[in-house]
Amino acid sequence: MTTMNNQDSNNSNNRTAAPPTNASKQPLPTPKAVDTQSVLKRLQSELMALMMSGDSGISAFPEEDNIFCWKGTISGSKDTVFEGTEYKLSLSFPNDYPFKPPVVKFVTGCFHPNVDVFGNICLDILQDKWSSAYDVRTILISIQSLLGEPNTSSPLNTQAAALWGNQEEYRKMVMEKHLYKKPTA
Amino acid sequence: MTADALSSVCNLGVLDSLSEASIFEILESWNGFCKITETMVKGDDADLSPFYSKFQSNVSSLCKYGLQSLVEEHFLLSLQETLEKHSAPKFWKNFDAYSNKTDLETNDQNMQEDEVELLLCKALEEISLEKQYQEKCLLMLVNTLQICQDYPSDVEKIFFSKYRLIVSSVLMTTLPRQFPEVLHWYFKGRLEELSTIMAGDYEENNDKNGMELDGNYDQKKILENKLVKNIGMVVHNLRNLGFTSMTEDAYASAIFLLLKAKVYDLAGDDYRSSVLESIKGWIQAVPLQFLHALLDYLGDSIIYFSPESTKSPLASNPSSCYPGTGKPSEGIIRWQLRLEYFAYETLQDLRIAKLFEIIVDYPDSAPAIEDLKQCLEYTGQHSKLVDSFISALRYRLLTAGASTNDILHQYVSTIKALRTIDPAGVFLEAVGEPIREYLRGRKDTIKCIVTMLTDGTGGNNNGPGNSGDSLLEEINRDEENQENTGIDDDINTDDKQAWIDVQRWEPDPVEADPQKGSRYRRKVDVLGMIVGIIGSKDQLVNEYRVMLAEKLLNKTDYDIDTEIRTLELLKIHFGENSMQKCEIMLNDLIGSKRINTNVKTTINQLSQTGGESHEDKTSFDILNATIISSNFWPPIQDEDVNIPEPLDKLLNDYAKRFHEIKTPRKLLWKKNLGTVKLELEFEDRTLQFTVTPVHASIIMQFQNQTSWTSKNLADAIGMPVDTLQRRINFWISKGIVSESSGTDPNDHLYTLVDSMADGGKTVISNEELVADDDAERSVASVEDQLRKEMTVYEKFITGMLKNFGSMALDRIHNTLKMFCVSDPTYDKSLQQLQSFLSGLVAEEKLELRDGAYFLKK
Repeated sequence: MTTMNNQDSNNSNNRTAAPPTNASKQPLPTPKAVDTQSVLKRLQSELMALMMSGDSGISAFPEEDNIFCWKGTISGSKDTVFEGTEYKLSLSFPNDYPFKPPVVKFVTGCFHPNVDVFGNICLDILQDKWSSAYDVRTILISIQSLLGEPNTSSPLNTQAAALWGNQEEYRKMVMEKHLYKKPTA
Repeated sequence: MTADALSSVCNLGVLDSLSEASIFEILESWNGFCKITETMVKGDDADLSPFYSKFQSNVSSLCKYGLQSLVEEHFLLSLQETLEKHSAPKFWKNFDAYSNKTDLETNDQNMQEDEVELLLCKALEEISLEKQYQEKCLLMLVNTLQICQDYPSDVEKIFFSKYRLIVSSVLMTTLPRQFPEVLHWYFKGRLEELSTIMAGDYEENNDKNGMELDGNYDQKKILENKLVKNIGMVVHNLRNLGFTSMTEDAYASAIFLLLKAKVYDLAGDDYRSSVLESIKGWIQAVPLQFLHALLDYLGDSIIYFSPESTKSPLASNPSSCYPGTGKPSEGIIRWQLRLEYFAYETLQDLRIAKLFEIIVDYPDSAPAIEDLKQCLEYTGQHSKLVDSFISALRYRLLTAGASTNDILHQYVSTIKALRTIDPAGVFLEAVGEPIREYLRGRKDTIKCIVTMLTDGTGGNNNGPGNSGDSLLEEINRDEENQENTGIDDDINTDDKQAWIDVQRWEPDPVEADPQKGSRYRRKVDVLGMIVGIIGSKDQLVNEYRVMLAEKLLNKTDYDIDTEIRTLELLKIHFGENSMQKCEIMLNDLIGSKRINTNVKTTINQLSQTGGESHEDKTSFDILNATIISSNFWPPIQDEDVNIPEPLDKLLNDYAKRFHEIKTPRKLLWKKNLGTVKLELEFEDRTLQFTVTPVHASIIMQFQNQTSWTSKNLADAIGMPVDTLQRRINFWISKGIVSESSGTDPNDHLYTLVDSMADGGKTVISNEELVADDDAERSVASVEDQLRKEMTVYEKFITGMLKNFGSMALDRIHNTLKMFCVSDPTYDKSLQQLQSFLSGLVAEEKLELRDGAYFLKK
């Protein structure tokens, strides 16, 4: 339930699971020596990289007073049922980041096989497949692609998984929920 | 005796001792007394003497039995009854006609006033007569009582005060609603009448400068005295009836109304003269004279005070105003203070309401400002001024329709005007804030400020009347104020200034905001306040540098006297260090002049000795170089252009020579900069132009070949086709070159227009500056520089707005400061950020609503 470790997910995520990361962002793993300063620096440089990357459809920014809590925004990719939608996320980074993955949740409700009603996301790189080579940008890109390519074999939302086969109906559902959510989002 | 009588009343045992006869006597006397009293009281002003003896005997027999208290009570009661039943209704009946005529008041006011006057006088006279009669009756009783018994001597007073109380309470309880209004009308009418008499008199006095009075004046005096006497009589009667306070209210309000009208009349909409003195004079001449006469008549001005003790600062020389009476009474002084305060307040309100207009024509309206200052000193209602002026500013100045220049000029005028009113600058601080806030949101503010600061002296296109030079004047004056302190010893200046400041110290006004340091506002410095708009002097200096560069680069002579002067002035205010780059720029110009001469003379010598062609020698005479140290100049725009061969050679020779003289320095030409004076010779005319090198290169290509396709021409000059097309428009608009589409639609054909006839009418439009579009600027503007730096942050800003929806300026600023710490560290001021954001708003990337920024969807 908590992981998606089958071939399907590999298939859907291999594009995003190995994003181009530069070596400098991959410090030698010294797991126990947690240094807040270096975490800060890492997050700052991630922010800078994210801002400069100019990827459309994904965005995130730390909350005013706390760089460990970010707000993210992703929009549904083109040619998927999620096209034209926008979802808010929350990302909270642990103190030993990047050795542990951040906790990422949907703030906006998302009708998706791998997202539960509380916004929890079932994505391997956020759990056991985490690597310190990932960063905010790759996480966001992964989630964005997860939207269009869900893993229906181990769903958190069975209703969504069942409906996935009927893309037209699914699209209707997504738009309905999205429109319904919009004012509160 | 009295004590005995009283005790006998209390002692009921006494009743037993009364004989039949005495009871009969008492009853007899009582009945007699009652009857006489009734007839007396009811009677008209008939002679009282027939009743006297009978009355006396009755009263005395009653007194004998100690019943005088009954007598007194009954008598007073019957007086009261008569008043209630008879006199009061009769009196009030006179005014019945006005009970519901209040709305008619406006229609036939004059007629009514006359009516009122007559009516009031008559009614008052009537009731006064009745009162007199009753008093007479009362007096008789008192006399009788005094005969029968040994009353204390002041019993008469006691009785009369009792009586007065009865009269006034009877009248007060039956007072009709409209009576105070009637009184008010009456006094208003009388006062107006009086003021017309007095006004003429006052003016006359002014004209003759206090000369002796003539017959005319005497006549007026008589008229006036009569009037005052009339009024005095009315007031006197009213007072006797117990209407003292109501009367005072009525004439006070009438006086205030009149005063208000007078102030409005005098002040009007003319701000070029001071009206305060004439208002004060009028107060002395009309209402105070009236009051004086009135109080005199009523005998109130008995108490004299020495003028020293009660003299107010306003009553500068009160005794002089009252020839004849000497010292004024306390009442008059109190009235004077009241009236003056009222006048000040009225004038102040009037001026404050029009402050915006007053400040618009500030230097001319200085007298009005001076008036206002005095009023405010007296009333202390500065906050009213601040509130009203700020709302006027918001409504009238700080709108999209007002040009930045106008706002700045108004701001400067405001500073100057309010400095008069409030030297400490406390209110200025409050008033200036909205203007500053607004100007910060405008993109061209800095540019306008710099232009205002520096353009005054140049004055080549604007006359000396241009308000731009007022700012420089300001700087000049400040400079003079800093008495002969050398520019170079800053420490000395500071010490001296500090000492002067200390000596001038005054406590802050009560309204001062304690959160703002008081040292800061000691000196209201116009320049400082203007720099305050931008936030930092560095930005101002930077903008000035760009403008200076532009100006210097376009100079054909090396005359920079005005610039040097401006720079020196700026140095005084902004410090040597901040102006260093500008100074180097000016030095470059001075150096250029020298080097230029040097290079040219040596080349000429060489050419003479070397026997080179004469052409070159003359050519060097037409060339003047401006040699700049580019490190200290603002970034300079670069544009490729091929200079015609002979000129290019000339430039190279010049550079070579420069290198020889100034080894190891090398000269790099910025060929697109500078100006070219050229003369075009046609068969039938010659034309002179001053153009940029690019334009010159273009037209020179036509020297040998009269027709070019745009592509070929672009290649020859070495610039992109689209740039060429833009530039050549200059010559087309001058009618020198004509454009026609050739065979290839993308390749235009340009042909030199040979003669006037050929090109038809010369299409010289007024838009000579068409060529001077933005690309024409030689120096990158401050905004461009800032833009470049800011684009890094733009991504951050969109990032945060994307995720947070909307953010206020402060929050964006803080967030940038917080998270933008690595490579390009965020180091901009709030103002810079604001102007950048408003740029983004203008580009429709952002939206600004209710002080918060949004991403434009």
